Amino acid sequence: MNPRLRLALALAALAGGLVNLALLLLTDHGRSEPLVYLLLAILGVSWSFVAAGLVAWSRRPRNRTGALMVAVGLAFALNGLRLVDTPLGFTLWFLVATLPAAVLAHLIAVFPDGHPTTRLQRVFIAANYAATVPLALVQLLLVEPAQLDCDICPDGLLGIGGARPYGDAVLAVVGLIDVALGLLLLWILVARWRGASRPRRRILAPVALVGMVLAVLYAIRAALLAVVSRPAPLDVGFDLAILTLLMLWPLGFLAGLARIRLDRSAVGDLAIQLSETQPPGRLEQALARALHDPTLKLVYWLPDRHAFVDAAGRQVELPAAAGDRAVTIVRHGDTPVAAMVHDPALDDDPELVRAVAATAQMTIENERLQAEVRAQLEEVRASRARIVEFGDAERRRVERNLHDGAQQRLVNLSLALGIARSQVGTGSDEELAAALDEAATELRRVLTELRELARGIHPVILTEAGLGPALASLAERSSVPVAVAAVPPDRLPPRVEETAYYVASEALANATKHAGATAVTISARRLDGELLVEVSDDGVGGANPEGSGLRGLADRVAALDGCLRVDSPAGAGTRITAELPCAW
Amino acid sequence: MALMKPTLLIVDDHAAFRSLARRLLTAGGFEVVGEAADGHAAIAAVPQLRPDVVLLDIQLPDIDGFDVAARLRDGEAEPVVVLISTRDRADYGPRVERCGARGFIPKDELSAAAIRSLLGATG
Repeated sequence: MNPRLRLALALAALAGGLVNLALLLLTDHGRSEPLVYLLLAILGVSWSFVAAGLVAWSRRPRNRTGALMVAVGLAFALNGLRLVDTPLGFTLWFLVATLPAAVLAHLIAVFPDGHPTTRLQRVFIAANYAATVPLALVQLLLVEPAQLDCDICPDGLLGIGGARPYGDAVLAVVGLIDVALGLLLLWILVARWRGASRPRRRILAPVALVGMVLAVLYAIRAALLAVVSRPAPLDVGFDLAILTLLMLWPLGFLAGLARIRLDRSAVGDLAIQLSETQPPGRLEQALARALHDPTLKLVYWLPDRHAFVDAAGRQVELPAAAGDRAVTIVRHGDTPVAAMVHDPALDDDPELVRAVAATAQMTIENERLQAEVRAQLEEVRASRARIVEFGDAERRRVERNLHDGAQQRLVNLSLALGIARSQVGTGSDEELAAALDEAATELRRVLTELRELARGIHPVILTEAGLGPALASLAERSSVPVAVAAVPPDRLPPRVEETAYYVASEALANATKHAGATAVTISARRLDGELLVEVSDDGVGGANPEGSGLRGLADRVAALDGCLRVDSPAGAGTRITAELPCAW
Repeated sequence: MALMKPTLLIVDDHAAFRSLARRLLTAGGFEVVGEAADGHAAIAAVPQLRPDVVLLDIQLPDIDGFDVAARLRDGEAEPVVVLISTRDRADYGPRVERCGARGFIPKDELSAAAIRSLLGATG
């Protein structure tokens, strides 16, 4: 806010007040004591609103609440016109007499946004101002001056003319309009409170309370005025009560500002919390606490991906601009670092949101880097899993091709040889018969080798019958005795079964080829959502976990988020253990 | 069986194999009464042809040989089912026993004698 404008407005309010005081002191037309109190109270309300309004205006220049408060204060100063005992003074006062209340009602209806956000609010504001000067003009034209304001009023400028028979009816309609406006304002306040989120209610509470009491008082007074014809003492009592509350109302607003200052101390608490080491996700909780918005979400910008991710590195879409969530982008210089997705009510206090974001900026940047690393790890993990999956699919395809292609053709060849052999009668051509027998034997060897090769590429029994039979078959074909101590009773996800099988077959191959084992035990058991595969042998030990076979096995197990352990002390056998999560 | 040739249905999706098997087994004393290229055709053919033996490949294009064997076991004809495959018996585990087939012969070891030995095993 421009300091000169602020000074000018403050001086205007001061001058208006002083003029009012001077008028009060310099004029004496036998006014009643309550009126003096009323005018003093009006002066208090005027200054109170202007002062609080200027503070609010400078704190939130973009929000029109402060400007509206100043307008309320200045409008109240117009009440001094009532002291000018001339027809012109009275007429001018009467025309603008309801303006202070109208500006105030406008302020209450749009607080804390400073502008109408619903159609009902816009309708109310329009009706509210229509009921000020235009309605006063109608009254001046149609109602006897004596009916308008009791004993002290001189005839107004327009108070010349004949009889006005509709005076009572006009006053009754004016009273009803006041009641309707009071009820409408009450309705707006109740609806706004009911629809408000927790942070918004914190802002509304100190002001809404006074506003609702004021609206009730206005409505009651207007109702009484409509029913009972000008009950002067009661009227003055209501006015005093209302003005007292009005003087407190800006103070209530300042109390709200003090609450925001308390929030500044929450920013201090946040700074202390951030200095301590926080696990992922705790920063989000700390920010939610500091901003009193438990729904707050913190997401991090990954420039490489052009996307936001959460603390765990998972991609997140920001909500649409005009939705029920607001987004504050946290920047480092011009570069976005993160975004806070929060209640739109926090937009009412952008300074606090900025202060919290600035306080947490370093930590946010650190967490962003961590989230980036986690996102990369997640990508690497997923990519490794995809590679293993692709490899397995390829193995299945190659095995199937062998089965349907080369193996089938060799089988046909074997049958053809069998037919040829059966047609060579015994003793007719012994050499041919012997050659055919030899060819058949050789072909059988080739087929056996081809079957072994295909089985090594992908064991069909694993897909056909599951891990248990596959391990039993592995044990049967082994050249050293293998005991299968335990197998899972049910089928497991294919990737888990395949990995478990390859762990067992690789460990068995090592035991047979390199360790000189004479006995091997294989077990595969379900344990707390994991499959525990153990292969132990009585060989020479000393297996190298970094050897290509075991290294590849460890990679395959890690692709499933599992872990492989090799325990192979020299001379004391080898135990290979794989823990495989079964959630795949 | 001593007087009449045992009848046989060959079920395999490879035409060349069916043709060779027919020649081999006919020469070996079987009467091949039909051929089927997939599981459903086999199930449809058995009640009509009423073969003594069904030579059944495990890897078929529609349903696998185990399912065909199980369905034939539940049918009226109840032929003797002999499973065959390019793969080894060990590649299929306990399903070979469970499906109700009389036995398993690797395709490259297929012969009239091998089938007879299975038929003779239980009478």
